[in-house]
Amino acid sequence: MEGRIIVVTSGKGGVGKTTATASIGAALAMEGKRVAVIDMDIGLRNLDVVMGLENRIVFNIVDVVKGQCKLSQAAIRDRRIENLFLIPASQSDNKDVLTPAGVERVGKQLRQEYDYVLMDSPAGIERGFENSVVSADDAVVICTPDVSSVRDADRVIGLLYARSITPKLVVNRIVSEMVARGDMLSHEDVIDVLSVPLLGLVPMDQQVVISSNVGLPLVMQNDSAAGQAFRRIARRLNGESDLPIQVPSHKKGMWGMITSKFGRK
Amino acid sequence: MFNALLRKFAGHKPTNKTAKKRLQFTLVCDQLEVNDSTLKRLQGDIITVISRYFEIDRDALQLQVQRDKDVSALVFNTPILCVKKDTAIPVPDSGGQKNYRKKKK
Repeated sequence: MEGRIIVVTSGKGGVGKTTATASIGAALAMEGKRVAVIDMDIGLRNLDVVMGLENRIVFNIVDVVKGQCKLSQAAIRDRRIENLFLIPASQSDNKDVLTPAGVERVGKQLRQEYDYVLMDSPAGIERGFENSVVSADDAVVICTPDVSSVRDADRVIGLLYARSITPKLVVNRIVSEMVARGDMLSHEDVIDVLSVPLLGLVPMDQQVVISSNVGLPLVMQNDSAAGQAFRRIARRLNGESDLPIQVPSHKKGMWGMITSKFGRK
Repeated sequence: MFNALLRKFAGHKPTNKTAKKRLQFTLVCDQLEVNDSTLKRLQGDIITVISRYFEIDRDALQLQVQRDKDVSALVFNTPILCVKKDTAIPVPDSGGQKNYRKKKK
């Protein structure tokens, strides 16, 4: 059976695309799938450091597309999670070195060798974005509950629809305390504005920074709320579409418990 | 939490409703690819046309954007002060408030 290529994108930078790609990829591999995560941010690679594989890079995606090495030579095997592979970006080239036609050719080969291929798109909607979506079967749009991120997500969603892809939304970095007091857009607000299907909700979590400091997979940490959220997202992507979406919540103080009992927020 | 109660007494207003409204307006403008100055000109033109037939309160005119799943609507809301009698074109009897609704896909 042919694998699926999923692009992870957002429009705006810094909303958690790379963390999401690394985490969803790792979680899918933990579900027993053969997974490749590909860093498409040519010139500004980061997926390698987030995954802790930066010391093992020999070839990269540009080499693969140019035919300078075999796909299997560029794929770095993760030693902690079975069946997880990283194809890093080139750090020295420029984004225009890849063409959509070249990436599409490699995409066909990727589908043969992996169950899931996650493309970590660069920020923006230019060539790098086009290269990332050209062979995608599905798309995951990451956004945070703030106006600039939601606006950019809307733009990217429009571009994906134009390519006949219905994107699925992940709302990242939800601070439930702020949502409760009305100072952060709730996930309902975001879905209302963007009107796309929801894939999952990820709470703000300090563990994201901590695990990227040491290059450990977030999803392997059972005490990480974000990591657990990404594992549920991966399961939903992997066919368990009826797995309920968990809304991030915070521990309420005494007064919060009393007021919520009486139906107040 | 007591903090929440304190904030309520201190007159803290939630900001997420504002964020949502601003976003919805911006997204409609983005999708229609019109900018603020175009909307201002449109508003000016509409005022000019309506003023030909009605006496309206220019300052009270409101321009709103409503967004549903499939369509976005520009809603112009203006109180009509009175109907101008000296126009050649017959105008329907009306008074008070009237909505002018323009739909765009």
